[in-house]
Amino acid sequence: MVQPHEPSDESTDLELIARWKAGDERAATSLVARHAPALSRFAVSLGQRTDVDEVVQDTFVRAFGSIDSFRADSSLRTWLFTIERRLILDRRRADRRRRDDTSIVEADAATEFDALDNIVAEEAEGRVKKAVDRLSRLQREVFLLRVNEGLSYKEIAEVVGSTEGAARVHYHNAMRAVKESLYV
Amino acid sequence: MFDCANVEMRELLPELAAGTLDAATRALVEQHVATCAECASELETLRLVKSAFASAPTVDVGRIVAALPKPASAPRSARGSAPVRRWMDWRVAAALTMITVGGLSVAVTQRLRHGNPNPPDSRVAQPLGDTTVVARAPSTPDTPVPRKDSMGKGVPRSPTTVPAAPAKPQLAFARGAGDIDEASIQELLALLDEIDRSPVAPRAEPDPTPVLPGIKQSDR
Repeated sequence: MVQPHEPSDESTDLELIARWKAGDERAATSLVARHAPALSRFAVSLGQRTDVDEVVQDTFVRAFGSIDSFRADSSLRTWLFTIERRLILDRRRADRRRRDDTSIVEADAATEFDALDNIVAEEAEGRVKKAVDRLSRLQREVFLLRVNEGLSYKEIAEVVGSTEGAARVHYHNAMRAVKESLYV
Repeated sequence: MFDCANVEMRELLPELAAGTLDAATRALVEQHVATCAECASELETLRLVKSAFASAPTVDVGRIVAALPKPASAPRSARGSAPVRRWMDWRVAAALTMITVGGLSVAVTQRLRHGNPNPPDSRVAQPLGDTTVVARAPSTPDTPVPRKDSMGKGVPRSPTTVPAAPAKPQLAFARGAGDIDEASIQELLALLDEIDRSPVAPRAEPDPTPVLPGIKQSDR
């Protein structure tokens, strides 16, 4: 039912992985080109405002370094999202320790969203961003993985380390909150 | 603000917004959305969200690929490992040959120095691990078995040492290699029958369920 995301090559992810393992660097290029935009979007949706390209690169480096542990039980993109999410959370923890600041990341993200909203405050996109920003971190992750990437609840649960049922509840709660924020 | 009662269609709206549905399913969902105000409103919200978060920093694919680790199983250059492996193969083969030749020469030397280890009177020698069971024919006066001294030379047999007892199978143990043949098995079975007929042999079979310490007989 669900089509492959943003196909840039006729080969499947598994075929490209096999080709890369055999020494074909063009297969790696195809894989990166296929999944990098989604990883970039996901990083932004997680509140990553700077060094997005660095995060995406680290995600690929880590993924290709442990490609043998990819069992293909889920899609490669889901696996990449999981790695990227863990990387971003690790970065945040490291930043917090370095700054010795206990303020939560949502507050930082809200400030940056506010700055963006100054430009597009009256526009629909600005209101949507504000509405999404009011969600809890987990709700926002689930909601944007579902809406932006079209991931199933099972895949989302795998990425965020939750259950399928919990992911479904988070999505519907987020959807309700966004609607209320926009239309009420 | 109500939700559509058609849960199946409503659940597919995010995938419709994300553009990940196949053509047939997409047509079905779009047909439903065209007749359902709630789903149409929700789809509009979803598309707003998608467009709001669609823009993301572009990444340099070439730089990422250049930073990737090399695959572990990638074929190495022809000059890399092949000569080393061939040299190792030769070394292993030479070591095995030396061990084999050395072992054979030691065995031949030992055999020449000590002569034939098996005594000529042993009819059959069968190994049982390191120990060999040797079945000997009972000695009779008309078939004297020549004895040997420590040097292996024959010693004349004294006529007074010949036993007059009835012929019985006997077992002797010697060191050697080989399997038990059929005749020896028959002799062993005859010996076991004789042990069974002995008056000191127990008449009853042993209890197959022995009493363990701490367990009462009534508990079993």
